Amino acid sequence: MNHRHLLPNEIDLLVDGEAGFGVAPLRAHVAECDECRARLDDARIVVDALEALPHFAPDSRLADRVMAQVPVFVPAHVAARDSVTRWLPQSGPARAAAAVIGTSIAGLLTVAMIWLASRGDAAIFATSLFADRVQSLVMGTARDLAFSLLGDSAVAAIQASGMLGVTLLVLGFLGTAVGTILGLRRLATASSRRG
Amino acid sequence: MRAAPRAGLARDPLDQMPHALDLANLPDADVVALALEGREAAHRELIRRYERPVFSLVFRMVRDRELAEDLTQDTFIKVLSHLDRYRSEFKFSSWLFKIANNVAIDHLRRRQLDTVSMDGSPHATTPDAVMASAIELSDRSESALEEMEAKELGSAIEQAIARLRPEYRSCILLRHVEGRSYEEIATTLDLPLGTVKTYIHRARHELRRALEHTRE
Repeated sequence: MNHRHLLPNEIDLLVDGEAGFGVAPLRAHVAECDECRARLDDARIVVDALEALPHFAPDSRLADRVMAQVPVFVPAHVAARDSVTRWLPQSGPARAAAAVIGTSIAGLLTVAMIWLASRGDAAIFATSLFADRVQSLVMGTARDLAFSLLGDSAVAAIQASGMLGVTLLVLGFLGTAVGTILGLRRLATASSRRG
Repeated sequence: MRAAPRAGLARDPLDQMPHALDLANLPDADVVALALEGREAAHRELIRRYERPVFSLVFRMVRDRELAEDLTQDTFIKVLSHLDRYRSEFKFSSWLFKIANNVAIDHLRRRQLDTVSMDGSPHATTPDAVMASAIELSDRSESALEEMEAKELGSAIEQAIARLRPEYRSCILLRHVEGRSYEEIATTLDLPLGTVKTYIHRARHELRRALEHTRE
């Protein structure tokens, strides 16, 4: 028998259940030494008592109280991804059908682009024709809309003010639109926090 | 850190979140990633997982239920408000316990509620230094402490833990109540590994001495 009694840190090794090359002799010593075995038992009683301690439960409203004070923001890229995902069908067959349709449309468009590219004159003619039609449609609609919304005199005043007037009008419109969007977003965030 | 949620999970079509049942099965890192995407259910899942361990640690540190409730709430608010600062190379629970421990220790320091070790300073290296740094509890604080513990905790081991100095208490609770390794405790408490071993050894020694009378 090894007559050197175990050091405190050696007792700790055994209490912690350490396994290793150096631990075997310590176990062998404890098996033969009543004094060290008693010290080890004492140490284990404390550890067993500690490990039997229960967890306490906090108030059941803790999560609500915490969440009332934690701002939860959805990052823009997540919101955009969710918006796209929301439009996707949920069932597997529906998704497969959507994929087939999407692929078909993309394929047709690609073929059309290649065909147009191979016929340069025809492509330029078709493009300019399409652009003219779109321009006249947009201008006509805008003119009608402006007359019906603002009246003849207001439209005449805008035309008289030239580019500066039109620019100021557009900037004013954009400013109002951005302000409205930000205001709505703030309202939505505040209501989701309250909810 | 932004681990994608596991494939094949059932999802709520409206908010693209795994159902609560699945959320409970995700590892912490995935739940944190969902919380960072602004999912409130993920925030609540993190609270659900750790409210008891954190509350128990804080309660045993401050020994006052109402105060422990407030400090636990502060801990979760800090953690969930600054999830973006969490570094995924560490365990989430280690980061959480670190903040909980800091909140409790800060409170104890502010209120000067610290109890002191019967063995004096843990940094003392000679017997004289140990004796010189040992401070006895006043009668008033001891009786108040005992009354509080008898009411709220009760058992001899709880009372003995309450008498440990706070650094020892954190270490021994993390080791034996939360089952953390020495290395994790060192990371959690920002202490050298050797210091953690020393604190735990001294805490066990003090607890053994404190419990001796119960076995007589």
